[in-house]
Amino acid sequence: MFEPPIQRLIDELARLPGVGRKSAQRIAFHLLNAEQADAQRLADAISEMRSSVRLCNRCYNVTADQECSICSDLRRDTTVVCVVERAQDIPVLERTQSFRGRYHVLGGAVNPIAGIHEENLRIKELVDRVELEGIKEVIAATNPTLEGDTTAMMISRRLKPLGVTVTRLASGLPVGGDLDYADEVTLGRALTGRQEL
Amino acid sequence: MNITWLEARDFRSYETLRFEPDEAVNVLVGDNGQGKTSVIEAIGYLGTTKSLRGVADEALIREGTSSAVIRGAFDGRASETVIECEIPMEGRRKILVNGKRPTRMRDVLTTVSMVAFLPDDLDLVKRGSAIRRGYLDDLAARLWPQAAAVQTDYDRALRQRNALLKQEGRATDSLTLDVWDERLARAGAQVLQHRRAVATNLQPHLEEAYLVVGGSGKLRWSYRSTWGSDGVRDNDDLAEAFMAALATRRGKELEIRSTTVGPHRDEPELMLDGRNARSMASQGEQRTTALALRIGSYRLIEEVRDQTPILLLDDVFSELDPSRAARVLDLMPTGQVFVTTAREDEVPIRGRRWSVRDGKVLP
Ligand SMILES: [Zn+2]
Repeated sequence: MFEPPIQRLIDELARLPGVGRKSAQRIAFHLLNAEQADAQRLADAISEMRSSVRLCNRCYNVTADQECSICSDLRRDTTVVCVVERAQDIPVLERTQSFRGRYHVLGGAVNPIAGIHEENLRIKELVDRVELEGIKEVIAATNPTLEGDTTAMMISRRLKPLGVTVTRLASGLPVGGDLDYADEVTLGRALTGRQEL
Repeated sequence: MNITWLEARDFRSYETLRFEPDEAVNVLVGDNGQGKTSVIEAIGYLGTTKSLRGVADEALIREGTSSAVIRGAFDGRASETVIECEIPMEGRRKILVNGKRPTRMRDVLTTVSMVAFLPDDLDLVKRGSAIRRGYLDDLAARLWPQAAAVQTDYDRALRQRNALLKQEGRATDSLTLDVWDERLARAGAQVLQHRRAVATNLQPHLEEAYLVVGGSGKLRWSYRSTWGSDGVRDNDDLAEAFMAALATRRGKELEIRSTTVGPHRDEPELMLDGRNARSMASQGEQRTTALALRIGSYRLIEEVRDQTPILLLDDVFSELDPSRAARVLDLMPTGQVFVTTAREDEVPIRGRRWSVRDGKVLP
């Protein structure tokens, strides 16, 4: 145990993904020894990110405005929507330059063990969008994990009655991984070679 | 295949261990508690990524230390593979293959060919069907990398479906459950197909081994499944049959909040001329059956992977009369062998002798 203010920071840092106890201590003491201005800049960046960034009204991507830059881009195809688990999957797919439609961020995948069910995801919002926006095809680009696959199947079941085509990224993606780890070429191929669910 | 060197730190009773075994037969002689089984455990852990005896990871770490490390080099036909495992008291264990994190853990299983005979192998015959399901699944994973993948997939889908039933009970949304049923059924059909493939391919080896080690009659598997009858051979048809069985039981499962049918409930039994070896065989026949199962897996791995497995024989000779022991070894003569024993004269095999005392392996 360290002095309470330091311990509090260590505890918070250790809750971050990929940061263990040891790294948390290293970062905390680095900040303690850094110039006051440097530490302040980090604190400011965090609080500014939180206060200025919000979720897109349409697709739940991160944005500084009402709608994200993709949704407000008039050149994008509004009849195709690519469904992803998290907002950080969008830049990964954008880099492939294989997709010209819009996105929909679910906020995760079904995972009963972790207490995450369909109602905790933005599936209802997706159904509403399909009904309102004249969407013709939905691409389920959830992660190639058991949970991501199952979520894709659930989306397909919920959307089929609306007469929309639901497709899944073609296989070739490493199973059990995150979209983050797929390289651009593989992902691009997966996007163009998608299969109907 | 053979292991060229083995190193361990803070593993079980060993503070440090460095062992460069002979590429043929290695006999580890030592009193109980001196650490000879730990050598077998270390080799087994590298080859299977888990304890051969089902010991929890934390229990493998030397008392008073925070992590154990095991390292070893396996010489295959084409290349050498160095496998390293770090098992920490807290947090995730780390496994490196040639210095890199393997993209898929199951690749480790098919990299190393290995078969272990353990003192409690009799359980394979005497105990409930879970242990025989495990035998078939473990062997499938050693033979075909895809088998390990579908097993993991099935186990996870099953845990997810059970978690859903447990939380929602009778309020479970039927469409949601349909989707989990389908996912579970697709994986389950493949788990069953792999088990069948193991049983079929093993059959000639099992029969031969049973006779050679002194049994009489015909030893064979009988795979009892309440959902996947023998007549259904196609993956899609099997998945359909599984889903139909789940549909039939849905009302009951919503009530008791758990999955009551599937590969995890199937009952693979061993039959001796039509008698169930578990309940209707003598102790001697059961022991012979257990031996035949291990010899059979050795022969099948050798055949399918086209590589002689490393053979681990942990304290198995005290239970065997010398002539039977010699016949067992005759069936598996060519590869690297590790034998542990408390009494050197019990081991009817020539080979390099090592003395294990106070946590040291000495020539
Ligand atoms: Zn948007």
